[in-house]
Amino acid sequence: MTEQVPVGAGVTVGARGLANPLRDPRDRRLPRVPDPCAVVVFGITGDLARKKLIPAIYDLANRGLLPPGFVLLGFARRDWETGDFEAMAHDAAKNGARTPFREDVWRRIAESVRFIPGSFDDDNAFDLLAQTLIDLEATHGIAGNAAFYLSIPPAAFPLVLKQLARTKMADNDERGGWRRVVVEKPFGHDLPSSRELNALVDEVFTAQDVFRIDHYLGKETVQNLLALRFANSLFEPTYNNHYVDSVQITMAEDGGIGGRAAFYDSAGAARDVLQNHLLQLLALTAMEEPVAFDADALRVEKLKVLGAVSLPADLEGDAVRGQYAAGWQGGERVPGYLEERLIPPHSRTETYAAVRLGVETRRWGGVPFYLRTGKRLPRRVTEIAIVYKRAPHLPFTATDVEELGRNQLVIRVQPDEGVTLRFGSKVPGTTMEVRDVAMDFLYGEAFTESSPEAYERLILDVLLGDATLFPRHEEVEMSWRVVDPLEEYWANTTPQAYPAGTWGPRAAEEMLAAEGRSWRRP
Amino acid sequence: MATLWETNAGEIVKALSAERRIAGAVAFGVVLTLVLVVDERRAEEAMAAAAEGAAAHPCRLLVVIRRRPDASAARLDAEVRVGGHLGTSEAVVLRMYGRLARNAESVVLPLLAPDSPVVTWWYGPPPQKTGVDPLGALATRRITDTAQAANPLRALKERGADYSPGDTDLAWTRCTPWRSVLAAAFDSITGQPATARVEAEIGNPSAALLAGWLKCRLGIEVDSASSAGPGITEVSIRVDPAQDILAEDAGGDEEPVEIRLTRHDGRTAVLARSRQPERYLPLARRETGDLIGEELRRLDADQIYAATLAATTGRRIAATPPTASQISRGASNRRSSPPPRTPREATIERAARTRQGRAD
Repeated sequence: MTEQVPVGAGVTVGARGLANPLRDPRDRRLPRVPDPCAVVVFGITGDLARKKLIPAIYDLANRGLLPPGFVLLGFARRDWETGDFEAMAHDAAKNGARTPFREDVWRRIAESVRFIPGSFDDDNAFDLLAQTLIDLEATHGIAGNAAFYLSIPPAAFPLVLKQLARTKMADNDERGGWRRVVVEKPFGHDLPSSRELNALVDEVFTAQDVFRIDHYLGKETVQNLLALRFANSLFEPTYNNHYVDSVQITMAEDGGIGGRAAFYDSAGAARDVLQNHLLQLLALTAMEEPVAFDADALRVEKLKVLGAVSLPADLEGDAVRGQYAAGWQGGERVPGYLEERLIPPHSRTETYAAVRLGVETRRWGGVPFYLRTGKRLPRRVTEIAIVYKRAPHLPFTATDVEELGRNQLVIRVQPDEGVTLRFGSKVPGTTMEVRDVAMDFLYGEAFTESSPEAYERLILDVLLGDATLFPRHEEVEMSWRVVDPLEEYWANTTPQAYPAGTWGPRAAEEMLAAEGRSWRRP
Repeated sequence: MATLWETNAGEIVKALSAERRIAGAVAFGVVLTLVLVVDERRAEEAMAAAAEGAAAHPCRLLVVIRRRPDASAARLDAEVRVGGHLGTSEAVVLRMYGRLARNAESVVLPLLAPDSPVVTWWYGPPPQKTGVDPLGALATRRITDTAQAANPLRALKERGADYSPGDTDLAWTRCTPWRSVLAAAFDSITGQPATARVEAEIGNPSAALLAGWLKCRLGIEVDSASSAGPGITEVSIRVDPAQDILAEDAGGDEEPVEIRLTRHDGRTAVLARSRQPERYLPLARRETGDLIGEELRRLDADQIYAATLAATTGRRIAATPPTASQISRGASNRRSSPPPRTPREATIERAARTRQGRAD
């Protein structure tokens, strides 16, 4: 091991991309900080912007991860001055920030927020926006770098994208910096519509400048899934159909549909959650090892595994959907889905979906992947459970191992982020009695540094141009190929009702019971 | 909290697990052991800082307080604390009297959390040779703070002379925000660094290290200037246009670029760059707890610090870990009588010395 000696006189500092002499891969104290840039948020007055984006931007600034020349531009149809916007953003940051709120940090951000009022069909407003970005090059040195965050309903996409194209704001070469766009789900409502949307976005921005946010991929535990699988030698040998009996991926929500009635009723649980979050989790769980931890290598593996996902030949009994009825949930009386405000009284939209998928690869052939998601379930939890086969032979008597279940490796995505390993252990006493025990790794305990919010990480990645944690359009399309047949099968059927506050419809239990399995209670 | 009088390591281990059971902490999530060496009168402030740093890295905190080393009777008193303001961490305050104070490692060794890294932090003057001090030798990282020394710059020279991999100094940790902003500013600069200048309070070790870092990375001499502080107040760097063809092709600036990062109030900095508007950014001086949090984040040797320290103090720095012989020799220096050795240890030690051409 030799030490770094002084570089010596006459070193030439390279341009961006060449070596910066002050950076060194071994210098891990220095954080990655993006170039000076602007973030333009369309729909800045919306829920997402107030609850997630603005607090995330504050947290990034507070952690010193934003460049000095950072500008936040809000765009919305409000009769606001920049001052009004700043006041709103101040409150949003104060209420939502994860890190302690410090006024002097906020003042630095407040100096570089701008608000541009206008509707999406207002040419003048977009001209003003374009001019503002040009002006910011002189005043903030953003050098043409801007990210456009479309925090708006998909119906408004075409309009905004056309405006960005018209004003040449989406053009990387026009101002010599980078121009990126951030899109939130839903990415369409079926394969054709998602293709249409992708074509539209790709026409205006180049494909590598499009960042599709699936906020689950920004969560520490999901990234830890990759570390768990590919940094350890302990799990890999058993991580296949020789040892694994089945895989259960659950995303349960205790809440109802909240204020999203119109959107939710047109989408349903499968389109809202299964198509994106659950299939992304499945891809990360089942994919082979990528050759490198970068965007391209990861995408190749995810695409391979998503392409290998198969639906049961006969969906009858292996694809279940449900709809919550009135009931008691966590000590409160809650209305049924059909009684929610703005929901048509005869709606056949599902609020619960469960499906048995296969992954047709050598590693996973014959291992069922059970995916389920639902609203108004007993608790809010997301987890991936790898359920192992029982030992082929047990030298104990049947009564000794009565309470022994199957070994499980559970990745808890939220809450209580961590990993659980369940295995059998002897109950202390004179008899040989084996019972399940759990060994827990709790993220919050080993690394209590509060994990960055998913949005914090993802916004930073967008500004750095790192697409590792963003699904590409091929993945989105591949996912629709899985969901479209389900939707087709479910069309014109009525979802089975389940009382709010329970773990879903009976048919879902039967789906696993038919194969001698049962859902894990998360 | 349990208090044990005239106790020993075995009883402390028992008390620790009893306390943990009472606190209801079933899982054992400690990822490292932090050995804090401190004086009685500064113990509370140091522990508060350690607890803050440990908030991000649950640890077993062993506080070594040496009292009356010349007392005739050796004695150990201990306080065991679990949970509370320590969060998921646990702490044992060890008060050592008499000759025990000079054999502190005999208490510390059995109390280290199993198979996990050890960090030793001297809150106050460190021993002459941190790497061979018994409490330093058992650690993978050794934290000192030259800013606390009576003569910080001389203390920095001593750190340079004494360096062994795993050493770090809080004066270096205090540089991180400055380095971060400067590195980010350099991301978009092309050319040849010409001059650099660091301005700070007189005798500020962080300023010396920052200058050393710039010297080592940019390959130019760095001027120092003094100011009223607090801490570092200004860094300026001039970059001339590139002369070689390669860099010109990359599209560099045609005029010199000057970067100036100024902070006068210890809270907010101004970043000025030629032909660009000034920008304000938060750059607050940090609390000790925050610094410890950063130090505990990585537990391997900091090579950039080593290179910087070499450039700062002008000494060549040994990059290899101290050999077994150095450790045991150093340890024996500290004791009044040589430690008992097994014949096997003696053989190993002799072999090591022979390899270094210094056979006895």
